[in-house]
Amino acid sequence: MKNTWLILFSLGLFGWASCSRSTDVPTPEPQPEQLEMPIPTYFPKMVYNLSSNPITYDGFQLGRSLFYDGILSRNGTIACGTCHQQAVAFTHHGHDLSHGIDDKIGMRNAPPIQNMAWEKTFFWDGGVHDLDLFPIAPIENPVEMDEKLPNVLQKLRDSKNPDYPQLFKKAFGTTEITTERFTKALSQFMVFLVSNNSRYDLYLRGTTNALTATEKEGLAIFRQKCGTCHEGELFTDQSFRNNGLSIARSTDEGRFRITQNPEDRYKFKVPSLRNVGYTSPYMHDGRFATLEQVLDHYAQNVKQTPNLDPLLQQNNQLGISLTSEEKQKIIAFLRTLSDEQFVKDYRFADPGFGKAF
Amino acid sequence: MALAVSVVLVSCSKDEEISPNDKNAVILEFDNYVGNEKLVLDTKTYKNAANEDFTVTTLNYFVSNIVLKKADGTEVKFPNQYFLVRQADTKSLNVTLKDVPAGDYTSLSYVIGVDSLKSTSDVSQRTGVLDPASYGTDNMYWSWNSGYIFFKLEGNSSVATTPTKKFQFHVGGFGGMNSATANNLRTVTVSFGTTSAQVRKDVAPTVHLITDVLQTFSQGVSIAKTSVVMNPAASKPIVDGYTKMFKVDHIHNDKM
Repeated sequence: MKNTWLILFSLGLFGWASCSRSTDVPTPEPQPEQLEMPIPTYFPKMVYNLSSNPITYDGFQLGRSLFYDGILSRNGTIACGTCHQQAVAFTHHGHDLSHGIDDKIGMRNAPPIQNMAWEKTFFWDGGVHDLDLFPIAPIENPVEMDEKLPNVLQKLRDSKNPDYPQLFKKAFGTTEITTERFTKALSQFMVFLVSNNSRYDLYLRGTTNALTATEKEGLAIFRQKCGTCHEGELFTDQSFRNNGLSIARSTDEGRFRITQNPEDRYKFKVPSLRNVGYTSPYMHDGRFATLEQVLDHYAQNVKQTPNLDPLLQQNNQLGISLTSEEKQKIIAFLRTLSDEQFVKDYRFADPGFGKAF
Repeated sequence: MALAVSVVLVSCSKDEEISPNDKNAVILEFDNYVGNEKLVLDTKTYKNAANEDFTVTTLNYFVSNIVLKKADGTEVKFPNQYFLVRQADTKSLNVTLKDVPAGDYTSLSYVIGVDSLKSTSDVSQRTGVLDPASYGTDNMYWSWNSGYIFFKLEGNSSVATTPTKKFQFHVGGFGGMNSATANNLRTVTVSFGTTSAQVRKDVAPTVHLITDVLQTFSQGVSIAKTSVVMNPAASKPIVDGYTKMFKVDHIHNDKM
C-alpha cells in the first residue's frame, strides 16, 4: 500500500515535471548529424546540388558501405571500390582497361573519384549529366557489374549482414530502399571525397615554400603550355577534345557515341590532373604508363586525326613544343598535386566487408 | 442501330446541363494492332511494307503531357503525369486521367516519350514508371547516356541480320543536356471525329485508340537493312512512322 502511494506520487511528480518542461522548452527532434564537406575557395562554382541531398554522417556511412560492397554486382564479386581504389585516388591501379565481372575487360580506363561535386558530366564521353544517376551505368554494364538495378535494391532489402534496411533507416528515417535513396547515399560518399590537401594546395593557401623552385618553374611552364585545357585549380575546363592520340588501334569514338555529332568524333573529356601522380596509366584507354610518355606524346607524337584540337596544330606544327628540361619541370610540378592525406584518409577506406578486391 | 444509338446520345447530351464543378475520369484505351489484326506477342507472324516477316516480342512506349481539347479550343492539361504502355502488361494499356472537368472533348494530344525537363530532373522526380528500377529486365532507361527509351519494338524476323534473328528498335533522345543531340520527342494529336467524349458527373468516357504497329515501318524502315536501331540520330524514320500509328476508333460515353 505504501509502495503504491509512492509510485502514484512519483508518477504525479513525473507527469508534472514533463508537463511543465514541454510548455517551457519543446523537446527538440533528434537531428541527423550533418557533415560539412570542404569547399575550397579557389575551386570553381560547385555543380552538385547539395541542398537536394544534404550529407549526413549516416548517409555518408551508408554510401561508403554500398561503395565497397560486391552486392551491387550480379555475383557479388565486383564493388565500386574494385576498380576505384583509394590508394591510387580511386582508380584501378596497373590496369589500362579495368576488368569487371568474370574478368571481362572494360571499354575505358577507370577515372579517379575525387571532387565529384564540381563535375558537370561523367564518363570520358560525358554521357551522364547527374552524379545521382551515375551508379546505374556500371551496375548494368555487362562487363562491369552485370546486374539490374531492381535486383540490387531487392538484395539490399533482404540483406542481414550488413543490415541494409536499418542502415537506410539511420540515413533516411525509414527502412524503405528506393532508387533515390540508394543513389543519393552513394552520392553522399562520393561528393565527400574532396582532394584539396596536396602540397600545391598548401602553396595556394599561402605556404610559399611548399613548392621547390623547380616545381614553381614547372607550374609556370604548365600554365603557359597546358593551362588552356587543363585550366583552373581543378586543372580541367571540362570540355571534350581530340588530343591527337593515334586511332590506329582503337575504334572508340568518344563523345561522338553520345552526341552522334561527327564533329565530336575522337573527342574525350579533358581530365582533372589532381592526384595525377597516383592515377597511372593515362588517357581514356590507359595507353601511357608514365607521365614522361604523356608529355612525349604532346611534344612529338600528336597525330593528325579528324577533329584534332586546334590548340595542338598551331603554326603548322603538331603538338606542343617542349624541351626535355621543360618536361621534367612540368612533371615535378604535377607530382605536387598528389594528395597523400586524401589517399590515406581512413574515413574513405573500405569498412571491411572484404568484397571490394 | 449505331445511328440510333448516336441519335439517342446526342439528344441526351442536349438536354443535360453541364455543371463545371462536376468531374470524372477519362480512360484512354491503347489497343495495339498490326494492320487489321490485334497484336499478339510472340506467336503471330506479320508482314511489313517491305514484305518482311516479323513477330513482336516487346512493344512499349511512354505517353506524357496529355491534353484534352474542347470544340471551342479550350484545353485541359495533365502535367507531370507519365504513363508507360506495355503490351505485355494488360493493365498498362488503359491510361486513366483523373478529375477531368465535365465537358465535351473533341480531340486529344500527347507526347510519345519523356519530355526534356523530366529527362534532366533530379532523381527524386523519377518515381513510378520513371523509376529506372521499375522495369526489371525490360529496360526503358539508358544508363550510359542518361535518358529514357521512349519507344521499344522488338521481335524476330527471318531477314534480321543478327545471329539470333532478333530485331530491336529502341528510340530515345530528348535533345541533350550539355550539347544538342537528336530530339525524338513528338506530339501526337488525334481527333475524336463526330462523337465527343462527354465527361459528366455520371459519365467517365473511354477513348478507344487503335494503334497500328505497321506504321513503324511506313517510312522506309527495313529489318533487313537495319535490324538493330538504338542510336537516337538514326531513329528518325522509325519516329516519323510510329507518330502516325495512333487513331481514335470510337468513344464510349456510357453512364455509370
